[in-house]
Parts: sequence; structure tokens; C-alpha cells
Amino acid sequence: MEQLLLSYLPILIFIGLVVVVGIALMAGSFIIAKQEPDAEKLSTYECGFEPFTDTRGRFDVRFYLVAILFIIFDLEVAFLFPWAVSLGEIGVFGFWSMVVFLGVLTVGFIYEWKKGALEWE
Amino acid sequence: MIVQAIAFYLFAAIIIASAVMVIAARNPVHSVLFLILAFFNAAGLFVLVGAEFLAMIMVIVYVGAVAVLFLFVVMMLDINFVELRQGFLNYLPVGALIGLILMIELIFVLTAGTVTPVVPAATGAPIPAIGQVTNTEALGAVLYTRYIYLFQASGMILFVAMIGAIVLTLRSRDGVRRQDAGKQTGRTRAESVEVRKVAPGGGV
Amino acid sequence: MEIGIGHYLTVGAILFTLGIFGIFLNRKNVIIILMSVELMLLAVNINLVGFSAFLNDLVGQVFAMFILTVAAAEAAIGLAILVVYFRNRGTIAVEDINLMKG
Repeated sequence: MEQLLLSYLPILIFIGLVVVVGIALMAGSFIIAKQEPDAEKLSTYECGFEPFTDTRGRFDVRFYLVAILFIIFDLEVAFLFPWAVSLGEIGVFGFWSMVVFLGVLTVGFIYEWKKGALEWE
Repeated sequence: MIVQAIAFYLFAAIIIASAVMVIAARNPVHSVLFLILAFFNAAGLFVLVGAEFLAMIMVIVYVGAVAVLFLFVVMMLDINFVELRQGFLNYLPVGALIGLILMIELIFVLTAGTVTPVVPAATGAPIPAIGQVTNTEALGAVLYTRYIYLFQASGMILFVAMIGAIVLTLRSRDGVRRQDAGKQTGRTRAESVEVRKVAPGGGV
Repeated sequence: MEIGIGHYLTVGAILFTLGIFGIFLNRKNVIIILMSVELMLLAVNINLVGFSAFLNDLVGQVFAMFILTVAAAEAAIGLAILVVYFRNRGTIAVEDINLMKG
């Protein structure tokens, strides 16, 4: 266990370093730079004219459908990793177990393809 | 060992603080971002006990996909969130009371029972020593064979989620002209080009 | 300073309680309620992984994997229903969802 955690120590140090550098940069600009905000300076800048619309525009619903389908296939791939690593151990049974799993999801994939969920118009 | 303990307390404190912010933040976008922070730190906790694969999957699936889905929905729907927050303080006493009761019950359970590692050692799948087999390989060795029914059931759940999402959100719009590559390349000369004899000076 | 299973169970218990509390606190906003449900599932996952590690039993991690799957599917379908409901009714307030009330 100690060995395992030691291999993660660089990541921990890296995260600590990132936090320190981030805070230092923000605090540095806050302390050193001159801060005189006024209404004109704080207003949205868009090539010299008033912004036409709100910056945080609404998304189209179709993005949402793509995101859902991405989650499903993301999980499918997540299940593939341990299978690929331990394929030598689990043998033919494990292999066919995964093939059935993939088959079920392939049926879903064919359904969404035929339904046109992947087309953008 | 001391580093491990410090890391645990750090991760645990950040998880709980960001969970508080998830339920208390004014702006739902901030709630989603704090949810992401909570999941990241939970992944840190998982690494601390040696569940490496689960930690990484946590980051990929939750931070990479589920949290983005929440962000999409928050930004996609034009909702007046201030209105939805009304009555926040009215519900506070009831919620706090029920939370407190649940907390006390959980503390009772935690302090009353003792966990002895002897009992399940006979039945479960013991974790192999880290030097021999990695966490991912050990998981794979039992996930697809011994727990095949649950594995296939989760496949069916994903299938149903896929179909459900398409049925619920897919709308076919009228008047949209799609490109059909097969139709384009399948055109024959006879149906697309016509040669006509034009008399000089006569026009078509 | 030894981190035992009690520490992990305590974090899980606090997180679960916060999830319940969040559902009560944001009774009108379905999105926050769904996020609270995700927090509760995270608490369950922490419990499972904690037990798995300290009882030296891999089954906890296998089940945490399945819970992850169910949580993702639940979030996807829940939010899809939310999107469709918003499209039809123009609101996501929980108290307006009363069409099936007799």
C-alpha cells in the first residue's frame, strides 16, 4: 500500500504546486496592479460596440442528446478497461460475457443511428 | 503514514465543504462546479485506500460526463432560478430536523457496530497484494465472470437509458433537407442529364 | 492518526445527510434535487469502497462500479425528463408537476 501511495506522491505535489502558483498569480496581480474600476472599464467589451446578446447564450437541445449518448458509451468503455487487462485470466467465458454486453449496446447504437439521433441536419 | 492521514482529512474536508456549497449555492452553475470538486476529492479518497481504477473512472465518468450534462441543462433551460429559491428558509427547519435525526441514527449505527475483518474473508473475493496484481486486473477477474448477471443487467440499464433519452428528447423537424450520400452517388446519367438537339437560331 | 474504516463511514454519513438536507432545502428546483441524489450515491460509493478496502474484499469495488453505472443512467434519464417537461410546460418547479393529481 505504501508503495502504491508513493507512486501517487508526485501528483499530490503537483496539485499543491498548482494551487500555490494559481493563488500567487491572482494575489500578485491583485496587490501589485493598480485597481481603479469604473462602470466603463467593467462593461463587456466586444470590438468597440455594445454586445448584441447575453454572453451566456442558451444551448440547443440537440447538444444535450449528444451528451447523453456520450455518457452511455463512456461507461461502456469504462467497462472495457478491466476486461482488456484481465482477459488472459477470465478466459472464453469472460470474453463472451463482454461480447453479449457489447451486443446489447450495439442494438442500441443501431437504433439511434436509424432514428437519426446522430445526424445534425 | 502521517502524509496519508493529512491527505485524508484534506480530501474529506473539501468534499464536505463543497457538498454544503452544492446545496446552498445561489447560482446552479456554481452548484455544478462544486459537485465536480466533490467528485474529484472523492477520487482522491479512493486512491488513498487503493481503489485506483474506481478513482479514475470516477473522474472520467462523473467529471467528464455527468457534471457536463448537468451544466448543459442548467445553461440550456431559460429558468428564473431566483424564483425557485423562494421558500428556501421556510424549508430550512424541517430539513435541518430530518437531517439531524438521520445523522444521529447514523452515528448510533457507526458506534454500535464493530467491523471485524474475519467474517467476510471466507465468502468474498479477497484483494490480492498490490505487488502481484493491479487493482484494475483484480477487478476484471471477478467483474465479468462471477458477477456476470449484474454486469449484463448494467448493460441493459445503459441500453434502456440510451433508448429512453432518444425517445424523450429527439424531435424530427419538418422542412429540413438532409444530405443523402447514397442518393447523390446513385444518380444515373439518364435521370440527370438530357441532350437536346437545338435548331440554330431557334432556342430551346 | 491511523485512518480506519470509521473515518470513511463518517464521511459517507455526513455526505448522505447533506444529500437529504439538500433535497429538503431546494424543494422547488429539480436540478439541485438531482445533484443531491448524486451526492447521496457518492456517499454510498465511499461506504462501499471503504468497506472493500478495510475488509480486504473486492466485491465492494465491483458494486461501486455498478452504482456508478446506475447513477449515470439515472442522471441522463432524469435530466432528459426535465428537458422535455420544461419544453412542454415552461417551468421546472416541483410543485407545478401535479398533472397526475386526482
